[in-house]
Amino acid sequence: MTIPTAPLLELSTLWIQVTGTWCNLTCTHCLNSSGPHNPWLKSLDTDMVIRSIKEGAELGIKEIYYTGGEPFLHKDILLLTAHALEVAPTTILTNGTLITDQVADHLAELAQNSPYSLEIRISIDDVDPEKNDRIRGQGAFSKAIRALQVLHSRGLLPIVTATEILRDELPEGSGMYEQFRDLILSLGITKPRMKIMPVFSIGRMEGEGGPLLTPEMLDGFDYSLLQCSETRVVAEGGVYACPILAGLPQARLSEKSLKEAFKPCDLYHTACVTCYETGMTCKN
Amino acid sequence: MKPMDSQLSTLNSEPKEYRRIAVCGGIYNNYLALEAALEDIRRREVEAVFCLGDMGAFGPHPDRIFPLLDEGKVLAIQGNYDQSLAIGLDNCHCGYTDPRDNYFAQLSYEYTFRKTSHENKAWLGKLPTHRRVKLGQYRVLMCHGSPRRINEFLWESTSPNCLLEKFCRDFETDILLCTHTGIKWHRALNGCGHIINVGTIGRPENDGQVHVWYTLLTAGDDLQVEFIPVHYDHKTLAQEMEQEDLPLEFIETIRTGWWTTCLEILPAKERARGKY
Ligand code: SF4
Repeated sequence: MTIPTAPLLELSTLWIQVTGTWCNLTCTHCLNSSGPHNPWLKSLDTDMVIRSIKEGAELGIKEIYYTGGEPFLHKDILLLTAHALEVAPTTILTNGTLITDQVADHLAELAQNSPYSLEIRISIDDVDPEKNDRIRGQGAFSKAIRALQVLHSRGLLPIVTATEILRDELPEGSGMYEQFRDLILSLGITKPRMKIMPVFSIGRMEGEGGPLLTPEMLDGFDYSLLQCSETRVVAEGGVYACPILAGLPQARLSEKSLKEAFKPCDLYHTACVTCYETGMTCKN
Repeated sequence: MKPMDSQLSTLNSEPKEYRRIAVCGGIYNNYLALEAALEDIRRREVEAVFCLGDMGAFGPHPDRIFPLLDEGKVLAIQGNYDQSLAIGLDNCHCGYTDPRDNYFAQLSYEYTFRKTSHENKAWLGKLPTHRRVKLGQYRVLMCHGSPRRINEFLWESTSPNCLLEKFCRDFETDILLCTHTGIKWHRALNGCGHIINVGTIGRPENDGQVHVWYTLLTAGDDLQVEFIPVHYDHKTLAQEMEQEDLPLEFIETIRTGWWTTCLEILPAKERARGKY
């Protein structure tokens, strides 16, 4: 079967997988199977990240995202955040468990000193601590909540990011968005910010087979609805099509520069069907 | 990346040259503020008045905007709202992603769609999506959101210099004018251009002040950029919004100057400055 491709219409969003798949948690639904032991994608060294940011700036990007794994495991994450914020608005995707008072102080200072916005996205998957920790790990909920509070008290406005993994367990008639909004407000956070993401059949949720996109499905389709039309990801091994497929050989578009990755990417994975159907992007 | 040809084809081929112009954005049905702005502009000896689109949304009585634009000889371009109304789309395509933002945007779109006449929708459909003029020696490009996408948000804190420089290069302009976000700002790039978000006439800018803003541009040895506050009868507007059963949240914004809706799209810095 012919694999359809998506063109890169513009490079707007630069993702950098700073810690590869190295994480202190082992969430059951992690889309790149991150964890503490033998990560299958290694962290990027500091120079490599700085070089990528520089190249992104030359290409006129709009924003930078740091992800992993858990970005706060990177020994130079604060330095790298400072570098990113010199160039463009920056978002860090984190589980929040490593955000101490000291880290939060430092982040607040970096945010203050940049003309660009710093966004911190904290993952929580259920408003119920027990349910959340069942899939994210013991203690993950309380640490994430504490991160929300320490960031909020320093004027940073964290964005809670939840996947729909536990949506089926919601009590009848109650909306996930509203539940999270109420939870955040109940913490005294007056500007509740939320993002809800679908679950992708990839990583620890990878199933056997599953539907794939066909060229016919993409006939007349607006490619700008797919994030791979405006994003590229730097991770160990090179430059990849999108944050969902980062690190996978078939999604690798270049071994070196971002510029070289200005070419169409294969929409070869079942995860692509989710993007196609939901129009979802990993951006804020 | 190359600019999109389809968009460039709508640009004027021979840009007209001016010395001093007034530019406003986002009218959002606020005919009282538009009236006050045009009156203010008349006293300032400008050669032309431009509007960067989004005539509808938020406020009452959409059709009251159009005679004012006509009398004021306002040269307008399309915003995403105008496009949606003109071609009968079922939402405003503002580019929100959050359910709460979308909920309120939909209420305002449905009201505006219902209350805008066929003639006015057709007029919106004929507007260009961009305009080029000259201001003294400067080349000026006017767009609604960004030069590459009608509903792209160019907030001050999410528009890095590297992107803005690229816009000036790719779209061959010295001055880029936009609106769409609702909050004005100006940045002079290092030696190569100016980006000016001209603000909006329709809604105060989330700083607890009830007035709105337009922009005055004057060419000289340097470019002079002045943001002009417009005080208008916001209490009457709020009353009329009540009579039209528009959401209380919208009315609160007109009365207090704080945004209550379409907040989730705000980046961290801009959100931190507001009340909600
Ligand atoms: S997973 Fe989504 S963003 Fe990534 S290549 Fe497939 S369609 Fe594009």
